[in-house]
Amino acid sequence: MLGRGVKRKWSCLEELEAEEVPAAQRQRVLGLCLEKLQRYQAGMELSLRRSVLLINTLRQIQEDMRSDGAGACTADVLLNGVHPDSCLLRDDFREDMSVTCPGCAEDDGASLSLSPPLSPEFPSQEENVLPDQQKSLPASTISSFSDAVNAMGYLSDLALDDIFEDIDTSMYETSDLPSLRSPTHSSPASLQSCLMDLNELDHIMEILVKS
Amino acid sequence: MDGARMWHVWVAGGNDFQWCFSQVKGAIDEDVAEADIISTVEFNYSGELLATGDKGGRVVIFQHEQESKNRPHLRGEYNVYSTFQSHEPEFDYLKSLEIEEKINKIRWLPQQNAAHFLLSTNDKTIKLWKISERDKRAEGYNLKDEDGRLRDPFRITSLRVPVLMPMDLMVEASPRRIFANAHTYHINSISVNSDHETYLSADDLRINLWHLEITDRSFNIVDIKPANMEELTEVITAAECHPHQCNVFVYSSSKGTIRLCDMRAAALCDRHSKFFEEPEDPSSRSFFSEIISSISDVKFSHSGRYMMTRDYLSVKVWDLNMENRPVETYQVHEYLRSKLCSLYENDCIFDKFECCWNGSDSAIMTGSYNNFFRMFDRNTRRDITLEASRESSKPRATLKPRKVSTGGKRKKDEISVDSLDFNKKILHTAWHPKDNVIAVAATNNLYIFQDKLN
Repeated sequence: MLGRGVKRKWSCLEELEAEEVPAAQRQRVLGLCLEKLQRYQAGMELSLRRSVLLINTLRQIQEDMRSDGAGACTADVLLNGVHPDSCLLRDDFREDMSVTCPGCAEDDGASLSLSPPLSPEFPSQEENVLPDQQKSLPASTISSFSDAVNAMGYLSDLALDDIFEDIDTSMYETSDLPSLRSPTHSSPASLQSCLMDLNELDHIMEILVKS
Repeated sequence: MDGARMWHVWVAGGNDFQWCFSQVKGAIDEDVAEADIISTVEFNYSGELLATGDKGGRVVIFQHEQESKNRPHLRGEYNVYSTFQSHEPEFDYLKSLEIEEKINKIRWLPQQNAAHFLLSTNDKTIKLWKISERDKRAEGYNLKDEDGRLRDPFRITSLRVPVLMPMDLMVEASPRRIFANAHTYHINSISVNSDHETYLSADDLRINLWHLEITDRSFNIVDIKPANMEELTEVITAAECHPHQCNVFVYSSSKGTIRLCDMRAAALCDRHSKFFEEPEDPSSRSFFSEIISSISDVKFSHSGRYMMTRDYLSVKVWDLNMENRPVETYQVHEYLRSKLCSLYENDCIFDKFECCWNGSDSAIMTGSYNNFFRMFDRNTRRDITLEASRESSKPRATLKPRKVSTGGKRKKDEISVDSLDFNKKILHTAWHPKDNVIAVAATNNLYIFQDKLN
């Protein structure tokens, strides 16, 4: 890790690129995606093309994380089988919020929707969402993603704040993470990696949101 | 013929020739003012005029230098004909956003009288400009005094007919029409229809059809804005009218697809007539697949039989009669595929490269990084990489083909991928409609090259 203010050299990036394992690259692309979306907040009108491409990339990373999770957790595979239409649901905006909860994909998959019900316009399609699973979504995740989306501007027609206003985020604290240790998680190793990913992401969010 | 020479010689229309330097326009300074960066280049229908637009909202028109017997090689020489400020920076008070003056596109109208007309657009407003010459003025009025005030009619005792006196040639650019307030998003394309009366303008989500004489209304012919903007996953990236069929136009999307629409089918062309898409190669799938497949430019061939699309790494030629895959695919800089993460990090991956046809549709040209640009001969399948640089800018100097080393050992005269300058990008190029003369915009400089017969 380079210190603050130290300029990263092009060559150093390339080395990374050559050696990077897919998961690390994914993490990096994810971070950059959010950073690029965040950068829009100030100044000029953003390019819709750019933001759409960035958001779609975020969606793809989310898909990817989900499928990774599927490999690690059988519960997810099962549930995916139970919900053949889940792919459609994943295009839903609400799903995008869980993009920020990476390694948790298995848990995510189990509930299919980590995101809490948003508003009457967005009724929860999953009645089987367990309350303690919802808790696994850190509050900062919600706010930073909505910030990013707001920054993106093309959702300006829609007052996102109104949607998020009603959400009581107090229950989604990271301290609730141990609640992940639900009996459905058979593999402690996957849980470990999930927590690490989550912490890392939380860190990114903190930087982005400056919270 | 050895390999190097084969690349060197460009074959088009049955003649062997090499590209040579003709002219370079713009300041040599290392410090480039943002406003001076060229943002569009366009020849008119005859090739006599060449227009550039820049980020500072200016339009510069160059005129072809007349050939003379003493200087027969002036084919590729253009001189400044007219310069004018087309767009000014504005402020959108409702959205609290600046509207850049940057000229996104220029399109010439076919010439119908002594004057020339062009359309120029920034993100929001399209303007129709008339460029006309004046080399005579009327003299000898006696209805006004020297200060231009009308004289007392009772004092005018005789009627004098004014006479036209020659004067120094003056080129005037005057705004004739201003087409405003029809685009919520950024205008990326304008295209004059073959009926010469209408034109289309496209932004990220909508395409409008205008009559050139009418500024207060336009017809919305495509609208892909979803009812809920959250469902938005695709934007329009470019659009163009068919060169001969005034009812047909195409538009490309950020998902790498092209839709052809027929305006006879419906007033709102939400349903396309044809849908061009190449199946994705699963082996090259990455997080950047969608970004690099986003189409940055679409151009019909002059014949109207084909269209060409440019995405981040390649140029594709499509036969309008075949929708499932392009008939030709040319790699522009495939060596960048392994660098996509860095290009994403430094935002280069969002660069919008344009592409153009030569006059006979037998060759195509597009830009790359490091001030390189590429040409592809469709008949021989040969390609060439050339560089727009000050170093080779001696009159009639032959352009040496460039080569980027791709893996393995770098050969002599080859440039390694790592030493490419990604700040020097050639996004805009134009090919003379009838001649082998090309205009290449490299940041704030406009290079003009021409062929040199062997």
